[in-house]
Amino acid sequence: MFPTVSASGLTLRYGGTPALDDVSLRLEEGVTGLLGPNGAGKTTLLRVLATAVPADRGVFTVLGHDPGTAAGRQNLRRELGYLPQTPGFHPDFTAFAFVDYVAILKEMTDRSARHREVSRVLQAVGLSDVRGKRIKRLSGGMRQRVALAAALVGDPGFLVLDEPTVGLDPQQRMRFRELVAEAGEGRTVLLSTHQTEDVAMLCRRVIVMSSGRIRFDGTPAELTARAAGRVWSSAERDPGARAGWRTGLGSFRNVGDPPEGAELLEPTLEDGYLFTLDGEPVREAAA
Amino acid sequence: MSDTLTRTTTEAPARKPVPARGSGTKAVLALARFEARELALQIPVVAFLALYLGLTGWSLYKNPDDFPVLHDVDRATQSLPLLLSVMLFVCVNRAVLRSRRRGTDQQFDVLVVEPWRRTVAHALSVVPFAVITALVVLAEVYWAASRPGPAGHPSPAELAVGPLTVLLSGVLGVLLARLVPTVFAAPLFAIAAFVLTGTIMSVSGNPHWLQWLGPVVMEIGAAPLPSDLLGRPAGWHALYLAGLVVLMVCLAVLRSGGRTVPVKAVTALALAATVAGVYGQSPSESEELRAARLEATRHPEKVQSCVDRGTAAYCFFPEWETRVKDWQPVVQGVQSLAGGPAAAARLTVRQRVDARYGLESQGSLEPASEPGQVTVGTRWGGNRIPEFAVGVASVLVAGDEESVLDMCDGRVVTTMWLALRSQPEPMTALRNLRIDDSVKGSAIVLAPTDPLAMSTEQTRIVSELLRRPRYSVIPKVKAHWRELTAPGTTTARVAEILGVPAAPQGTKEDDSCAQ
Repeated sequence: MFPTVSASGLTLRYGGTPALDDVSLRLEEGVTGLLGPNGAGKTTLLRVLATAVPADRGVFTVLGHDPGTAAGRQNLRRELGYLPQTPGFHPDFTAFAFVDYVAILKEMTDRSARHREVSRVLQAVGLSDVRGKRIKRLSGGMRQRVALAAALVGDPGFLVLDEPTVGLDPQQRMRFRELVAEAGEGRTVLLSTHQTEDVAMLCRRVIVMSSGRIRFDGTPAELTARAAGRVWSSAERDPGARAGWRTGLGSFRNVGDPPEGAELLEPTLEDGYLFTLDGEPVREAAA
Repeated sequence: MSDTLTRTTTEAPARKPVPARGSGTKAVLALARFEARELALQIPVVAFLALYLGLTGWSLYKNPDDFPVLHDVDRATQSLPLLLSVMLFVCVNRAVLRSRRRGTDQQFDVLVVEPWRRTVAHALSVVPFAVITALVVLAEVYWAASRPGPAGHPSPAELAVGPLTVLLSGVLGVLLARLVPTVFAAPLFAIAAFVLTGTIMSVSGNPHWLQWLGPVVMEIGAAPLPSDLLGRPAGWHALYLAGLVVLMVCLAVLRSGGRTVPVKAVTALALAATVAGVYGQSPSESEELRAARLEATRHPEKVQSCVDRGTAAYCFFPEWETRVKDWQPVVQGVQSLAGGPAAAARLTVRQRVDARYGLESQGSLEPASEPGQVTVGTRWGGNRIPEFAVGVASVLVAGDEESVLDMCDGRVVTTMWLALRSQPEPMTALRNLRIDDSVKGSAIVLAPTDPLAMSTEQTRIVSELLRRPRYSVIPKVKAHWRELTAPGTTTARVAEILGVPAAPQGTKEDDSCAQ
């Protein structure tokens, strides 16, 4: 499969602190999850790939377009859908007008075709019924879906979603997962999140970042497998465990190096993620 | 970890067709249309647009000015668009700052239409409002031109000022938003500009060059002048405003990152146009203009054409030729009532104007000394018609306008009867001619040059005569013309000749000379 995104040696420093440190990756069709602690460089990577900030070093292409040139950057942006971590809205606009406005900024100039496309994406995110409502009258979840519709309008080949499920209740998050899964069909989606469940349920591939570097790049199953044989159950918290907590069943779930004869448990993606990060210093600043 | 990759443009996978996209220019126009619609939905803009349209419509409806002078009408279109301009300035400014205020910049900055193109779109969003203003301005002029007796020609440069002011305020809002990205800047700027302009004008004495740096220069003269004597650098001013509009757009675009060669080139051209406009409009009145104004004031015959109609020659400034057909019935009406040689006297109706100080001239005219010459002004319609009739009657009675100054005896009755009897509604005309709008007592009566004075008794006699049928008075006037127009004939004698009973309490102050 041809990569949609090819990046090599991306480096970006904020005042001497590396936010991205020699990051190379290839993204293909489907949803790729991007996990990492706060300050790992996830948002910075997304902003670089979305051409919001240029990298100090390194190159990348999106669908063959090189953002290093003005024309390439414009062509890349024509293929880009970007949902930032905290999307802004024009509260006095209706949902339709806001997405229509974004569609114009994506150079969709044929009015009737544009309006059809706006209606399509609003229907896709389940907002057809409230398309005429002002955004200030919509709930947080609906607003997030408006932002997703704005990212999806124009059918971009590369969709960048930065923690889109933050602040959503479980029902809204489930609805959002459906939307992202649909969006991943036929295009490349890079999904930054703290929710390992999102990755487990949506992504065919996961990248773990820490300290501006990629620590893991593989399938969710491979990330989960990193914790195989290192999760066990005990009646009391095992002092040798790196992490442990009482479960709803009353027993303790321990993660680390199990003692001899421990009752091993099936690891989760989160366990694998924690093991991947284990021992990594976590920066809080440069996200 | 992924492998290090080699950049290539050949590895892009095939994509399904995406909705068609237009060029950058089309996107700017689409965005401009969107922003214009958003502006049109803003309550303040709607309110001020309605106010502008309402006031304009009201003034046209309530003051349907017959006999308009179109090169005065054009200037009158300039002030009301300022209402719309101020509100557009504030609202366009807010629209430009919308993304910044609402935190959508980071989303929109990675979209295809760059910030500088968005700036262009915001500037273009004002164009529909300028077009509406232009249509209103054209409607005003068309309305005036379709009224009875229009004279002169509107200046396209003067007509352009209203729409250009609207455009200017909009692009100023755009530029200010790009320079000072806070919504408080626009209202503060508007207040500061208002205060500063007032202060500078009062301190500096409002010299010509400073006055013309403002968008609208209102000058309302007492009487319309021939257009070549106005001395308004309207063409230069329109160039200055147009240059300023383009310059501000260019500066805003440059500020937004559109530092392309064409933008820089247009900026330079716009700057040159603005400077040329300032250079052209700044000099105060030239010697040639002053000389032309003086000549038009003192020797109008040198710049006028004359046509003969009946017993009179009508001499007019070039733009007033159409008025001859309006003056002629008045002259004929008055002269037909006169007797003796006056009934067939050769008159010269000469249009005159005080143009010495341009539009700041007072508009009062000195009586002409030439025998048989009647002055008519550049304004016509309404009260000007009976005033002209008084002028014609005065000359028929006294011989020339200067002699009218000394006319205070019974000839005043003859003059006023001649002037008013020829009017469709004599008593209304009498009331309108008198400065105190009365039909009793003594009063000053308006005329094209110096006014006449009517005593109480003269007013009574004239009123009495006007109540009588024409046929009962006309034969007496014609039969006793010589005595009725002879200097020294008393008011009492005139009353006696015309068959008006003496006042119950006769007075020695019957003649206005005595008063």
